[in-house]
Amino acid sequence: MIKISRYILVLTAVLVASIALPAFYWTVFEKVPRSPQIYYSCVTGDFIIADGNKRTDPSGKEFTLDEYERALPLLYFRQLMADGEMPDSIHGIKLEAPSISRASSFYRYTPRKLKTPVPTLYPMLESQSGKVNLAMPDDYFRIEKRMEFIVAKTNRINEEKSALFTDALIEEGFVFPAKIIAGIPTTRKSVDEGYFVTDSGGSLFHVKMIKGEPYVVRIETEEKLDIVYIEAVDLRSREFYCYVFTKNQGIFVVMDEVYDLQRLPVDGFNPEIHTFRINADLFNKCITVLGENWYQAIAVDDMYKVVGTHYEEWSGLYERAEGKAFASIFPFEIRMKDDNSAFIRFFFRPSPGYRWIIVNLVALIIAFIMIRRRGWAIGANIADLLIVGITGIYGLAATQFFPNKFTVNKQPNNK
Amino acid sequence: MFKSIIYKEWIKIRLIVLISLGLSLLALINIFLKVRHDILFVDAANYWYSFLFRGSTYFGILKYLPFAIGLAVAIAQYIPETVNKRIKLTFHLPVSENGILIRMHAFGAAVLVTLFLVVMGLFTAGSAIFFPSNIINPSLVTMTPWFLGGMATYFLVALILLEPVWIYRGLYAVVAAGFVTLFYTSASIGAFRPVLPALILITVLLSFVVLFSGYRFRKGEM
Repeated sequence: MIKISRYILVLTAVLVASIALPAFYWTVFEKVPRSPQIYYSCVTGDFIIADGNKRTDPSGKEFTLDEYERALPLLYFRQLMADGEMPDSIHGIKLEAPSISRASSFYRYTPRKLKTPVPTLYPMLESQSGKVNLAMPDDYFRIEKRMEFIVAKTNRINEEKSALFTDALIEEGFVFPAKIIAGIPTTRKSVDEGYFVTDSGGSLFHVKMIKGEPYVVRIETEEKLDIVYIEAVDLRSREFYCYVFTKNQGIFVVMDEVYDLQRLPVDGFNPEIHTFRINADLFNKCITVLGENWYQAIAVDDMYKVVGTHYEEWSGLYERAEGKAFASIFPFEIRMKDDNSAFIRFFFRPSPGYRWIIVNLVALIIAFIMIRRRGWAIGANIADLLIVGITGIYGLAATQFFPNKFTVNKQPNNK
Repeated sequence: MFKSIIYKEWIKIRLIVLISLGLSLLALINIFLKVRHDILFVDAANYWYSFLFRGSTYFGILKYLPFAIGLAVAIAQYIPETVNKRIKLTFHLPVSENGILIRMHAFGAAVLVTLFLVVMGLFTAGSAIFFPSNIINPSLVTMTPWFLGGMATYFLVALILLEPVWIYRGLYAVVAAGFVTLFYTSASIGAFRPVLPALILITVLLSFVVLFSGYRFRKGEM
């Protein structure tokens, strides 16, 4: 039992070391990862990559700041208007500030949005109150065995309203409970469109409240979608309601009013690890999918037809000097937090390659020598050596922190 | 005999336990008076909103309390034993040395668990007046690591105090500090849910480790 208690301590120390030492290493040596912004210019008809202070086109031609702003007149129209350089029209379309800003939007999805604790209560705003300003309701709803509204002040369920909405959902074939509830739970938006909800069967519904009455629409999809994340957006152009991310069937937008699902021309998107950006303007939408060390940019026109693509890749973390050194020293690392998740977990990250085996071997030899010098029996220290062999310097430190002195069976030979 | 040992342990820690209970009750009263006040003055719907969508918690005052309690109980229970190596007297009783240490330690742990469960129970009961389960459950998930951290602190501080060699006390303290910090990692409400089973398992395993330094103490390791 005492021996076991020591191994509990040693393994705890290995855990602590494999969290703390790599964290310290990265704090000292990690460099800012590249995160280029990609735009599609309606003037040059090509992509523009802004990376730090460097602005280039895909061929590598550099732009000065002025050239860059002139190439993206829809993004910098205020600056160009101030300079008197704003073109009157592009592609035969007259450019006016209100129409430019109405068509402009930016959205970004990161894997962190997928893996984050979400609330299970939401406010249902009145979407046609007749007032100019939206108002927060005094109750919150949840969709579990049924749809329930809980009045915050009394912490009691409003039975009448709950029954009204539950019945409306059942009528549309909703299977309780809800899996995803996505809306914009704030009054700081132009209009209220309620919530986009998936039921336990994975079907998609639109739920909102109009003059106190439930409004429920079942959104039909051509094929069964494995929806993992929905984000409602408040576009001034009112083009679509929300982005719908599926596990491996791609990304969709739900068109306003008609509820058609428009698939975005993005292939191989993995919502667990990829970042998605979309920059929309009057003429084009520039979609960027980013991996750890690459991006794929896709430009589409206003009919979602692809007008250009661009791919770029750079060296990954473990291909750079600091990452290579890391993978040589440490056999693995454990993180409590991960860039791709807001949850706390023991994220286990084995180091790529096999260079760490050398350091593990050195650690093993040191451990072996130390055991011999203390005159301990090797046989009684097999477990220690095994731990050092597998966990490298973490295990070496841990086994020295908690000395294995149960096994003294001969006097230390003072060499 | 074990009754007397438990009585001896209780004498050592009773003052600390009562102070801890008093402080916890004060903290809980403070929490719910504040919630009641804010709900009256700020409006309940708004108050719920800041929890649900802004991530503000109403129980942050409880965060380091279990840590302090675990530390204080371990000190109250084990410092007197190390002064003049008094625990050696206990080890001379005609019972198994391990058995006696296990019982001392189990008693301390049981008192802490009871205290923490009372605090979490009262917290849940108080919260139920103002909030639905959709707010209470993530709150409990958020504070569970804090209380587990209190238990881990108790186990590891006992280990450190019974260790006879100062240099190793220092080394244990490094590991203990590194480990206990994990429980107090700042995170959004409910973010600890996936890691809780692992943390519970490790904390339960750590309840044994006092035997290690207890053994070294007995053998007069220098």
